[in-house]
Formats: sequence, C-alpha cells, structure tokens
Amino acid sequence: MADERRGLSGLTENEAKEFHKIFVTSFIIFTVIAIIAHVLVWQWRPWL
Amino acid sequence: MWRIWLLFDPRRALISLFTFLFVLALLIHFILLSTDRFNWLGGHAAPSAAAQHMSTLPAAPSQ
Repeated sequence: MADERRGLSGLTENEAKEFHKIFVTSFIIFTVIAIIAHVLVWQWRPWL
Repeated sequence: MWRIWLLFDPRRALISLFTFLFVLALLIHFILLSTDRFNWLGGHAAPSAAAQHMSTLPAAPSQ
C-alpha cells in the first residue's frame, strides 16, 4: 500500500503498466494477423 | 504511453475499441460482398482489371 496513487481511471501506476503491456502485445498480434490477411487478399485480387 | 490508462478506464476503452473494430469489420466485409470483384461467395469470378493490363506483354524482339 506504499504507492497507491490512482489516476482518473482508478488504476494505480503499476496496474496501468501491467495493463499496457498486455494491450501492446495484443495490438501487435492483431496487427500481424491483419497484415497477413491483407497480403493474402492482395495475392488473390490486388485492389490498386 | 502507459499513462493513458490512468486517464481512461481500461474496461470502457476495451469495450469501445472492440465494438468499433467489430462494426468496422462488418461494414468492410459487407461492402466487399456487395462488389463483383471482391465477393468471395459464389457468383461469377470477375475478371481482374490488373490482369487485363498485364496481359499485353511486349512482344519478344525478333532477331
């Protein structure tokens, strides 16, 4: 209970950092899958 | 960058993000299904516009 400063969202800094780590990882995975999907669609029928 | 989660409630942010992405994905998929060229279900395969351009290859130089 040493550093219990909470932001407007109610999260502590450590909670925010922990959530951010998961969020960034998920975002990268999502982006990689999206890029793969776009490459496959481009090979099927390029749109430009 | 992580300080953003001190401002925005992660639960609301995630629900908003997922809702937005889902609606966007649905919109894009239905738009594509409504076209001839990018409809991947049934129907006639539309000739690729790019392939038509590429079919006019320059003739091999005669020797």
